Amino acid sequence: MDGKLQNKKKIKILISGPFAAGKTQFIKTISEIEPLTTERKTTAKSEKKVKNFTTVAMDFGKITIDDEHELYLFGTPGQSRFDFMWEILGKGALGIIVLVDSTNPETFHEARQIINYFESRYPVPMVVGANKQDLPDAWPPDMIKSALNLDVEDIPVVPVVATDKDSVKKTLLTLLEEIYKEFG
Amino acid sequence: MGFSGNLKDFPFPDILQVIARERKNGILLVEWKDLIVAYYIKEGNIIFARPVDKITRVYTERDFGQLVEKLRVKEETIPKILEKYLLQRFEEREGIFSLIFGFIRYRSNEKIPIPIEQIILEASRKLSPMEVKRKISDEMLTFAIAQGGENKLKSLKLSAVEEKVVKLIDGNKTVADIRKEMFPTPPIEVDKALYGLWSAGIIKRIRRGKRKKPEGLTLDILKRIIDKVRDL
Repeated sequence: MDGKLQNKKKIKILISGPFAAGKTQFIKTISEIEPLTTERKTTAKSEKKVKNFTTVAMDFGKITIDDEHELYLFGTPGQSRFDFMWEILGKGALGIIVLVDSTNPETFHEARQIINYFESRYPVPMVVGANKQDLPDAWPPDMIKSALNLDVEDIPVVPVVATDKDSVKKTLLTLLEEIYKEFG
Repeated sequence: MGFSGNLKDFPFPDILQVIARERKNGILLVEWKDLIVAYYIKEGNIIFARPVDKITRVYTERDFGQLVEKLRVKEETIPKILEKYLLQRFEEREGIFSLIFGFIRYRSNEKIPIPIEQIILEASRKLSPMEVKRKISDEMLTFAIAQGGENKLKSLKLSAVEEKVVKLIDGNKTVADIRKEMFPTPPIEVDKALYGLWSAGIIKRIRRGKRKKPEGLTLDILKRIIDKVRDL
């Protein structure tokens, strides 16, 4: 690896959200490298019903911006038992995307906990991605906004399908534009 | 348009919060273990409750005025009906709900028997510590009075704890500070009050601290990142 490559400035975006919200898929869809994942077999019975593997430390994806800059996408583990990783990964993040499984209102309170955590401790621009909007029983983004108490806050809630590149791009762009507005 | 869920995982104050904020007409149907109840929603307020034997009945009787006439319900009895079929059931957790907006037709003269914010406060008082912790999840959370919050308060009957808590909301104090000032009131009672006031839209969460621009980040770099993502 040449020196220039090693010295690239790293800009970090955090992709957070409850268990099975689609964080790993979101990063896979947009990353230019095969994402580095730390997936392990799910052990809890309730989690096994949903999926067989889960992120235990972080997911990592990358987008090269130019010769000097790289955008890093860090995915946090979804379960609150790994919440110590929120702090580790949250430090220095430029912005956060909190993904929510729009078809599973039972996980909304976990999303709210993540939003509470970052709004109280690491206030950076945030966007909520209402994922799985392609599924028939998905809650519309405006109702997710109401359920998460975001209707009076400046945190946008955008529709996402994490398997669709355009949709993921749009979500990431919404966050970047929020960051631009904030610091512009 | 609507949604459904389980009362264990999506408690009543949270359902009511969505109803209040969406300000639409519709029906909330709750299938308890022992009873099915249809709650009639007009512009974000629950104005009537009715136990039903068959769910289909709810969806075929779409004219609220005709329904009330058919059931021979007097306006003055509606608060008692709501008390029985709504307020007294907040401790029940076994049940599934579905909320469907639209399709019900109202006349213009239906009254609001109990403001939705009052119902939310009542429901929040019945939450378990675990349910409360899901929303008041961080002792660093900070609240301010929401726009219109003062006005809403005028028509509500707050509990003694809620009254004290709302006076401490100043946009600076954290949950930890409020719990401390409320001592010897148990923290769970303080948190329930915060849960209710927040769900009812009387207070709002505010961001703690100012967002800082990361060192070395220029608008030019940001612009380049945006352009790159756009071109992916």
